[in-house]
Amino acid sequence: MSARGAGGLRGGGGFGAAGVILTLSIGILIIVVAVPVLLIFFNAFWADGSFNVRDVIRVLREPDTYQALLNSLLIACGTTTGSTIIGTFFAWLVTRTDLPFKRFMKGMFLVPFMLPSFIGALAWKMLFSPRAGYINRFFMDTLGFENPIFNIYSYAGIIAVECMYLFPFVFIQVCGALERMDPTLEESARISGAGLFTITTRITIPLVLPSILSGALLIMLYSMAHFGTVAVLGIENGIFNIPTLIYERIHQSAGSFASIRTGTVLASVLVVSAACIIWLQNRILTRGRYQIIAGKSFRPMELKLRGLRLPLLFFCVAYICFTIVLPTVVIFLVGGLKTYGLPFTLENLSLANYKFILFEHKLTRDAIFNSVSLGLGAALITMFAGVMISYVIVKMKTRGKGILEFLGMLPFSVPGSVIALGVILAWSGKYGINLYNTVWIILVAYIARYMAFSLKANSAALEQVHDSLVEAARASGASMWQALRDIVLPLVRPGMLAAFFLIFLPSLRELTVSIMLYAPTTRTIGVAIYTLNEDGETVISAALAGVALILIISGQTLINRFTESASSGKG
Amino acid sequence: MFRKLSALVIAACFLFSFAATAAAAEKLIIYTSMKESLIGELSEAFKKKNPGVDVDYQSAGAGKLMAKIAAERQSGKILADLIWTSEVPDFYNMKKEGLLEQYVSPVSSETLNPFGDFDGSFTAARLGTLGIAYNTRIIKKAPEQWSDIFNPEFKGAFGIANPSLSGTAYMSIALMVNKFGWEFIEKISANQGKIGKGSGQVVDDTASGELAGSLAVDYITNDKIRKGASLALVYPPEMLVVPSPVAIFKGTRNLAAAKKWVDFLLSKDAQAIIAGEGTLPVRSDVALPAQFKLPAPADAVKRAIPVNYIELMAQKEAIVKKFTDIMQGKK
Repeated sequence: MSARGAGGLRGGGGFGAAGVILTLSIGILIIVVAVPVLLIFFNAFWADGSFNVRDVIRVLREPDTYQALLNSLLIACGTTTGSTIIGTFFAWLVTRTDLPFKRFMKGMFLVPFMLPSFIGALAWKMLFSPRAGYINRFFMDTLGFENPIFNIYSYAGIIAVECMYLFPFVFIQVCGALERMDPTLEESARISGAGLFTITTRITIPLVLPSILSGALLIMLYSMAHFGTVAVLGIENGIFNIPTLIYERIHQSAGSFASIRTGTVLASVLVVSAACIIWLQNRILTRGRYQIIAGKSFRPMELKLRGLRLPLLFFCVAYICFTIVLPTVVIFLVGGLKTYGLPFTLENLSLANYKFILFEHKLTRDAIFNSVSLGLGAALITMFAGVMISYVIVKMKTRGKGILEFLGMLPFSVPGSVIALGVILAWSGKYGINLYNTVWIILVAYIARYMAFSLKANSAALEQVHDSLVEAARASGASMWQALRDIVLPLVRPGMLAAFFLIFLPSLRELTVSIMLYAPTTRTIGVAIYTLNEDGETVISAALAGVALILIISGQTLINRFTESASSGKG
Repeated sequence: MFRKLSALVIAACFLFSFAATAAAAEKLIIYTSMKESLIGELSEAFKKKNPGVDVDYQSAGAGKLMAKIAAERQSGKILADLIWTSEVPDFYNMKKEGLLEQYVSPVSSETLNPFGDFDGSFTAARLGTLGIAYNTRIIKKAPEQWSDIFNPEFKGAFGIANPSLSGTAYMSIALMVNKFGWEFIEKISANQGKIGKGSGQVVDDTASGELAGSLAVDYITNDKIRKGASLALVYPPEMLVVPSPVAIFKGTRNLAAAKKWVDFLLSKDAQAIIAGEGTLPVRSDVALPAQFKLPAPADAVKRAIPVNYIELMAQKEAIVKKFTDIMQGKK
């Protein structure tokens, strides 16, 4: 990549600063983002030297692929319905009622956002696998049940786990809508004599519906393309969705033409459905924008829960304990066991596994090192590239910036497994550069995947920098470079930092992309956890998952501190 | 704030530096189906003996490794210098296709050789044995015969690793079918036996109680027994013995170091490590740890179900498919 980037710089030398920036931006996005995605479509629809749809249909009609498509759809629908209900209910509870400890609850409901769902799936496997899951065993061994009470290796299990980790998408959207909504609308309805039911169905729900729907569509998008949970709970029992089937095909017959073909066709299906979802979401949001009056600091009326106050409080606490605390505790406990299957007694528990993965085991140490350096590398590169590209999109008046915007946001709707597949097609030697089996291919994929995050954060920051500032600098005789360096960059630094963290943290817990791209020494933390679990090293994998949780949570806490102090310092 | 940023830049430089150091010393890459507990210890011991040589290994099921090799061949270069798995027919295949470097180690004369047509293309470095692992919390009476796994206490809870992933699983299924016919698999299926994932996972599932028993590889089971798992491993009279050959890829850039690895693997020290992990060495002058109750290597070879590897070579796909169909009730 660096070689071509440098070429772009030289080529653009004649146009001055603006030309250089524009050429570089377009070059980076085309090489990193557009080429891989285009190659997917090309490989899917172009066989034996001609455009070929019949073959695509044949691939889609193979029983395995067809089943995977159905499964993806089924799981996505189930997850969307479930998490929309959970998310909306809790959002209403923490914004519109007099539930005690609302602020704390709201914080807790956002915790699943930062927990990687495949680690959650591991924990739920330990709790609810039919014969060995701790909860099932408790019911069977202690309470004398004949059969396990729940089998996690099922569609219901997968959907339940996904719901737990995805509902914040709806929760956060609906919370926002309910908080921004003008309470006078409801009040006037009430003054006019409407009852609570009428107000809810005629005023509140129509007003927040766009937010609910847009959150639901996000979940749908995410769940269709979701790898981790299905990989941990489904593959073994023959439940595949599109990403897991792509992984299985590519991984098992590593690189044979037929498997790549199937992979690209499935990937195309994912891209197309993702595009439809995004389009639908945009429509809903633009239509809905007029209806939510984006006022500030209204205090919406609170519903008195009266007798239900304590039961609902208890329900929320129980939900948090069951879905957040319990799995986390199980991961750490199992990580402390000598070997899986032993009871949690003091003599079976130790810190030996943690010591082993942190100081002795080469695989896990490599994995931690790889994830951290990949995260830093991707975050830094994407942060700087993102600032430059956002500058073109937001500030420059050139033709073709629409394409840039489209290209930059493309990975936002392209699932990780698709990016990984595209990167394999583009960078495994066919076009001159072979990065396959090196850490660089993961880096390139991360850059493509996270570019959209950086663009969003940086565009937002850049939009607040008024053009007149740069114009003033230019009028006072500064060159374009000087103006950028001394005026624009210092002003957008918060946006750049936000972009950095928005990329660094997710890449620490990333699995979907790196699982398709790893080689012996280039495992990431996610890959190491997944493969250790697959190899039957449950306790080691749980210990590493525990370490990952500590890394992620402390990272997130640090960032929250940092951004809070930064914003309060500014205000 | 820029100090923070510069700290990040420095950190990113590490990323570049580790790519640079990777190319420095002589470095062997080994593809192996041996689990971490075994290959990790062996590679540490090797590095201690040969300070100039670094060892990297990819530990995965034989099926995945062969797929990886196939893909790497297409792109022109096999990344590994050595391969060490338990799927013997693969080695005959690779030999036929001229992928393997012939090397008769001077140490090989001291070892047991299960291959009649030994020519140095690959050398057995371990005798893997498979038995019935069972969870002692669930199964109170130790199984003695293979037919005991048709008993009701194993109903719905006997696992065999997926033969398309695990070389030992494939070899054992082929051996069983050879000895007992396909009825054996049909009876397992009738007792609702399960296809697991890798050979490690079925043992872990047995330890956890998800399975009551499984067709299990010796050292994987013994490693967990040593850590206190409620597991036991028994060998029925007809033994499953699967040699694990090691071979050098033709065209490796580190031929001298690769030869050192083969010599090392057959040496008394390495074989003692192998025995210490609870699997059979290929040398009879290595003491077997008493705790594992392993049969002596020569006895095991005598009790082993005989096999014709060259015949097996062509049958893999058919056997795996038939096995999967029977187990999934498709017949």
